[in-house]
Amino acid sequence: MSALLEVQGLTRRFGGLTAVSDVSFAVSEGEIFGVIGPNGAGKTTLFNVIAGHYKPSAGTATFSGRGISGLRSDVIARLGIARTFQAVHLFAAETVAENLRRARVLSTSHGPFAYLRSFGTGRREPDLRDVATFVGLGPLLDQTAGGLAYGLQKMLGIGMALMVTPKLLLMDEPAAGLNPSEKRAASALIRRLRDERGISILLVEHDMPLVMGVCDRILVVNQGKPIAIGSPDAVKADPAVIDAYLGDDYEFA
Amino acid sequence: MIEQMIVNGLLAGFIYIIMALGFTLIFGIMRIVNFAHGEFYMAGAVVVLFLFGALGWNFFLAVVMAGFLAAALGIVIERVLFRPLVGNELPGMIMSLAVGITLQSIALILFGPSEQSIERPFSGTWQLVNAVVPWDRTVVAIAALVILAAFYLFLKYSRLGLAMQAVAQDRETASLMGVESGLIYASAFGIACALARLAGGLMAPIYTIGPYMGELPMLKAFVVVILGGLGSVPGAVLGGLLIGLSESVLSTLFSSTTALIASFTIVLLIVVMRPTGLMGRGAP
Amino acid sequence: MKRLILLAAIVILAVLPWLANNRYVFHIATMIAIMAPLALSMNLMLRIGQLSMAHSAFMGIGAYASALLTMRLGLPPLASLLCGGVLAALTALVLGPVFLRIKGVYFVLLTYAFGQIVNLVFQEWTSLFGGNSGLYGIPKFSLAGYRLTAVSQYYVLALLFTAIAYWMVRAIERSDIGAILQSLNEDEMLSRSIGADALSWRIAVFTFSAAIAGISGGIYAFYIGFLSPQAFGFQLSVDLVVMNVIGGTSAALGPLLGAIVVVPLPELLREAKQYQLLIYGLCLMVFLIFIKQGLVSLIDRPRRKPA
Ligand SMILES: Nc1ncnc2c1ncn2[C@@H]1O[C@H](COP(=O)(O)OP(=O)(O)OP(=O)(O)O)[C@@H](O)[C@H]1O
Ligand SMILES: [Mg+2]
Repeated sequence: MSALLEVQGLTRRFGGLTAVSDVSFAVSEGEIFGVIGPNGAGKTTLFNVIAGHYKPSAGTATFSGRGISGLRSDVIARLGIARTFQAVHLFAAETVAENLRRARVLSTSHGPFAYLRSFGTGRREPDLRDVATFVGLGPLLDQTAGGLAYGLQKMLGIGMALMVTPKLLLMDEPAAGLNPSEKRAASALIRRLRDERGISILLVEHDMPLVMGVCDRILVVNQGKPIAIGSPDAVKADPAVIDAYLGDDYEFA
Repeated sequence: MIEQMIVNGLLAGFIYIIMALGFTLIFGIMRIVNFAHGEFYMAGAVVVLFLFGALGWNFFLAVVMAGFLAAALGIVIERVLFRPLVGNELPGMIMSLAVGITLQSIALILFGPSEQSIERPFSGTWQLVNAVVPWDRTVVAIAALVILAAFYLFLKYSRLGLAMQAVAQDRETASLMGVESGLIYASAFGIACALARLAGGLMAPIYTIGPYMGELPMLKAFVVVILGGLGSVPGAVLGGLLIGLSESVLSTLFSSTTALIASFTIVLLIVVMRPTGLMGRGAP
Repeated sequence: MKRLILLAAIVILAVLPWLANNRYVFHIATMIAIMAPLALSMNLMLRIGQLSMAHSAFMGIGAYASALLTMRLGLPPLASLLCGGVLAALTALVLGPVFLRIKGVYFVLLTYAFGQIVNLVFQEWTSLFGGNSGLYGIPKFSLAGYRLTAVSQYYVLALLFTAIAYWMVRAIERSDIGAILQSLNEDEMLSRSIGADALSWRIAVFTFSAAIAGISGGIYAFYIGFLSPQAFGFQLSVDLVVMNVIGGTSAALGPLLGAIVVVPLPELLREAKQYQLLIYGLCLMVFLIFIKQGLVSLIDRPRRKPA
């Protein structure tokens, strides 16, 4: 297994606060890699830096052997890193189908020149229905996105990210706010993303049973700093991790 | 020559500072670029024209009265016209254009397009080192300093001033801490209007008074405030002095249009390179 | 259906000047037809969420360029007109990468400063632009040896360009570009995370809309035959914004309606400038507070967003 994403000493400061501090790890091709840590640990910031929404203060990120730190977020997305957001982001007034269609248009016609080129090729991939069915929105294509149940809105977010045909998907708390059965579906979906579509996953999630269940390896961060990395079982037993979560009512199931 | 340029520059600078104070206050608190600022200034001069010029009030009393009237009007305008648009930058800006146009038209209807002037309450000059300093501008500069000091004390020590600073810094947090933002907006707008009118009233004897007199101070406030940092009071002070001095030098050496082009070029560069200005904080 | 009736109404309005057959009516109609594409170009900017105070400068660049290229270099008017548009577009293309990184209020300030600088240059460089006393002696527009002399002929020229500009903006609105611009405006972070190059799209829109403004400026120059910097000041950009607010920004029809309503105002109230301003100011307030979506929303109810 070769490293798909390699992060070296990544650091991001906001004024005096170091939200991400000297984080290093590597995600292999086909891996589901978890990042956990208490609230405010810097997980979302880590995603934002990798995805190019923030510039790193120090450190590098390499994707498929290519340096990506400091690139714009849309360039990184086009290289094959898609992401979902912790808060729901979608075009609320449009239908599910239109949301997915827009995602496809935005990625294929990413700029004016790409738009002009797209006339020549007439490429219409990936297929809307395919993706909608994959994330469980098949029957709901004509529903208004803003009117969907919260869990389904999150699924739509994943569907839109899939329109980029990513090699790596960064998922920021996909199961937050879902009910138990939706959570089961979400964890199955994460596995299917890898098994059926060959997408590697970087997953931030507070739901410990889910994380421990789906992840191959897990990085634990606290106050921006990495404190442990390894298999779910190894991480669960790590005293530093137990310490970090002490007082929090997390359950290590 | 050099002394004269510096003195002229500083005097102009103080005038620019008080032209800019109200403008920067409204932006800092309400995030509105108030294009009506020049018209509030004009209204101040018109009130002074009436009270001092026509009714023979004491000059300073007339200026203070203009300030009070402005504050009252400002509070009403904020409540009725701007409050429905809070948080919407562009409509807020367009509303300020509408207010400016309306005030200007009212002045036109009342006074016609002609320019008027009032008798100067202060005249003559005095000598400072090698520079000749006119008394009328000296009075304005001193008054500007007094207003600035009062405004500073108000922001620093009064409850309202502190609350305003809190809102300017972070609207959400301030409202979580129980600062009533509606009250703050209304009073900020009132105070800003009053500041604009005080400036206009003070300047009334120096420039001619007419419906279009607000354009120049609007322009100056704009340049000064962008240079110093939108929303920053110390920035307005620094910006005012810098622009006053640079204009004085450039217009003595070249022409006043050159000075104006230079000001706008500075504005352009500042916004591109450091949108928050010299003293502004936070990212836009 | 309503749209059809409306379009029919606009067509009738467009031929009205011939029925009236009055020079003055033709003049107002021509001014509407010159301003309408400008209002449309401002509409494109508002669609990318940027209020531009530079459009008066783009119009000025197009106007002076068309006039000077014909006067000094003897270019055929149509070529000068197009060159004026290209020059305005190039200016936007050069400025865009720097200006469009900046959003909201700061973009307004930036374009305002740029507009002022361009205007001051028109005023100051008297040997080229004629300064505040104006640039005189612009030849009449001519095409293939046919000289346009009557107002009605300029009206046709301006109307033709309005139709082209309207058709283009409609085409953009309906195509995927419309969806892309709307997405970028609604949720830039999401759109970029899917790969959309926000800056390039904005530059494209800025450039295209500057081209429209420049060509309108050229038509204006040939029509009026005299240019002065005041015509391309801050007030013009404000007027363009006002046309959009009053007409509505959500559809290409909005700025068109805005131009039809706003442009005749100063002409109708020529004798009473103060009342013109008063009506202008008060209308703007009413629209901003009560009719936020502009006149189009009264005709064409916009899709309701779910709560
Ligand atoms: N744009 C920003 N400016 C300043 N501080 C920020 C910014 N973004 C995040 N932070 C700070 O960085 C720290 C890490 O935040 P982050 O959102 O990355 O945490 P997180 O691990 O995702 O938390 P949660 O589990 O609650 O989502 C927090 O203290 C936060 O306040
Ligand atoms: Mg987070």
